Amino acid sequence: MLADTWHLFNKYMRITMRMPMWTLFTLIQPLIWLLIFGQLFKDFVQLGDEDYMAFMVPGILVMTVLFGSSWSGVSLLREITAGTVDKMLVSPVSRIAIVLSRVLHSSAQVIAQAFIMLLVAWILGATLNMNPLYLMMAMLIVFLLGVGFAALSNGFAIALQREEPLVMIGNLMTLPLIFFSSALVPEQFMPDWIQLISAANPISYAVDAIRAVLSTTPDMAVFGKGLLVLTLFAGASLAWAVTAFNALRD
Amino acid sequence: MTNLAIQIKGLTKIYPPDNRAVDTLDLEIKEGEIMALLGPNGAGKSTTIRAASTLCGFDEGNVVVSGFDVDTHSLEVRQAIGVVAQQTGIDYFLTGRENMVLQGHLYRMNKADINARIDELAGYFELDSSIDNLVSTYSGGMRRKLDIACALIHRPKILFLDEPTLGLDIKNRKILWKHIDQLNKEFGLTILLTTHYLEEADSLSHQVAIINNGKVQVVDTPNALKNSIHGDSITVTFDDVGKNEQAFFHYAQQQSYIKGSTWEDNKLHLYVEDGGANVAALMAVASDNNAQIANLSLSRPTLDDVFLKYTGSSILDTKEDEGDEWWKQWAGKGGNTGKWKSQWGANDSNAEEGDEDQAWKNSDWAKSNDNGENLGAQKREEAQSQQGAWSEGQQWSKQKDDNTADEQGSQQWGQSQQGDWQNNEWNKNKDGGEK
Repeated sequence: MLADTWHLFNKYMRITMRMPMWTLFTLIQPLIWLLIFGQLFKDFVQLGDEDYMAFMVPGILVMTVLFGSSWSGVSLLREITAGTVDKMLVSPVSRIAIVLSRVLHSSAQVIAQAFIMLLVAWILGATLNMNPLYLMMAMLIVFLLGVGFAALSNGFAIALQREEPLVMIGNLMTLPLIFFSSALVPEQFMPDWIQLISAANPISYAVDAIRAVLSTTPDMAVFGKGLLVLTLFAGASLAWAVTAFNALRD
Repeated sequence: MTNLAIQIKGLTKIYPPDNRAVDTLDLEIKEGEIMALLGPNGAGKSTTIRAASTLCGFDEGNVVVSGFDVDTHSLEVRQAIGVVAQQTGIDYFLTGRENMVLQGHLYRMNKADINARIDELAGYFELDSSIDNLVSTYSGGMRRKLDIACALIHRPKILFLDEPTLGLDIKNRKILWKHIDQLNKEFGLTILLTTHYLEEADSLSHQVAIINNGKVQVVDTPNALKNSIHGDSITVTFDDVGKNEQAFFHYAQQQSYIKGSTWEDNKLHLYVEDGGANVAALMAVASDNNAQIANLSLSRPTLDDVFLKYTGSSILDTKEDEGDEWWKQWAGKGGNTGKWKSQWGANDSNAEEGDEDQAWKNSDWAKSNDNGENLGAQKREEAQSQQGAWSEGQQWSKQKDDNTADEQGSQQWGQSQQGDWQNNEWNKNKDGGEK
C-alpha cells in the first residue's frame, strides 16, 4: 500500500510541478485577505501590544489550507470521468492508496502554499517567530488540517457524485468555518454562541496551535492540544473518505 | 481441448429500481480467440466487460476469468487481464513513458522489467519517437495505442477492449486493427472487444456475439452469421409507409424467392434468393401495388443484416454509446442505492423513456409483419380490406384515407422505376456485392 501511495503521489506531484500556476492561483484569495483585510482591520482590532497582522497570519494560513484542499474532490471526480481511476482500479493497486495519495498530494501542495503566504506576511512586516523548528511545527498542523479537509473533499465527492454540489458545499462551508473560529478575531471578542461553535471547530484548534508556535513566546500546551485534535480529525476524515470510496464497489 | 479464457454464466446486473442491464447472460471465450460483442446502446456490452474485469459487481451469476472467479479472486483476475476502456484513462500531463512506468509500478513490476517492456511496446506500437513527449501532444490514434500499450505492460493473457477505435479516423482505425490482430496471432492474446463498427467485428474477430436487452442473442463466426441470412439483401426505403406499401409487403412475402424480411422504421429489408435475377420481379410487385419506393439497394448480406435480424434495428443507426454515469458503472450488487444516487438517478430514468418508446415501435412493427404473414394467399381486394386491421396504432393509419398521396405515390414510383435506383444505387451495390 505504501509503495502504491508513493507511486501515485509521485504522479500527482509531477503533474503539479508541470502546472505551477494552478498552485499559485489558489493563493489569490488568501493573499487578498492578507493584503486588504489585514490593512483594513488592523486599527479596529485592539490586541494590546500584539500586531494584528501577526495575529491574522495563522488564520490566513488556515484559510489557504481550506481553499487549497477543497479542490481535491473536484479533481477526483475529473479523474473518474476521464477514466484514469478505472485504469487504476483494474490493476492490483491498493484502494486505500488511491485516496491516500490524493490526500497527501493536496496536503503537500497546501504546505507549499502556506510557506509562500508566510513569506509574503514576513515581507509585509508581520512579527512572527521564524525559528525553523517552530515553523516545522506550524507546518505539521497545516499538513494535518490539509489531510482532514482534502479527505473530506474526496469523501463528499464520492457521496455527492457531481462537481456542482461539491463546489457549492466547499464554498458554503469555507467562510462560516473561518468566521466560527479564532482565525480572524480573538475568542474573547466573539459572542457566547459563536464561542460554543468555535470550540467544536477543528479550524480553531489549528489556528490556536499555529499561533502558539509562531508567537514570539511559544505555548507548547496549546500546540499539543491542537496537534491531538487535528490528528483525530485527519484520521477520522481519511477513514471516512476511504470507506466512502470502497463502499461504491463490492 | 481448448481451455476457456472467460466463462460467464447467468450474469445479471440490476440497476435500481429494476433495470436489468445484463440479464442471465452466458458467454464463453476460448483461449487465443478474439470475440466481438455487438449490440445497440444499453444492450449490456460495456457492463459485461466491467463485470468481467472486476470494475463492477453484479447481482447474479458466475464469472470466471483466466481460471479465477472474479468475485472471490479479483486480485488474480486483475493480474491476468489488461483493460482498455472507452475513455483513454491516460494522464495527458505525463509523457508516454511516465504513463507506462506508473502502470508498471501499479502491477508491482521491477524497474528493469518495466523499462524493457516499454522499449518493446513502444517499438511494437510505433511510439518510439514520441514516448518521451507529453501525451497532450499526441494524436487520438497515438493516445489509443499508448492506452493499449499501458494495458499490456504486465503481459496479460486476456485483453478487454471497450470500443477500442471509437472516435478514430479510418486510417488510424485500420492501423489499430492490424496491431490487435498481430497481438492475437503473435502472442496468443485472448481479446474480448465491444464495437459499433461492423467491419471491425467482421475482420478482427473469430466469434461475434450479438447482445440485445442484456442477453446474448447469437454467437458464431462472422461468416456463419452472414450465411444464416439466406440469399441477397434488398433494402427498400419508403418515404412513408401507407396501405400501398403494406400491400406490396404482403404480396412480396408470398413470392417464392423471398426468404425473410425485417422492418426498420420506413425501411424494408428483404432477403432474396438470387437477388440480381429477382429484383425486377420484385419491382413488378411494387408497381402492381402502387408502392412508393424512395430507394432500393441490393447487396450481399452483411453483419448489419444479422444485427438487424436479432435486434430489430440497424447498427448503422445506433448512436455511439455515451455510457452510464460513473457511479452507475461502478455500482456493486443491487446498484448501490442511496439518497443522492436515487436523486440523480431520477433524471436518468426519464431519459430512458425514449428508448422504451422505440422498443415499443419495433415490437409493433413486428406485430404488423406477423399480421402480414397470417393473411396467407388472398386476393388483393381481400388484403386491402384487411389493411384496416393492420392500421391500428400503425404509422400506416396516418395515410390510409389519403388517396391523393396514393396517386402521387404512383407517379413518383413511376419516376423512380426509370430513375436513380436502377442506374446508381442498385448497380453500385451489386458491384459491391460481387466483389
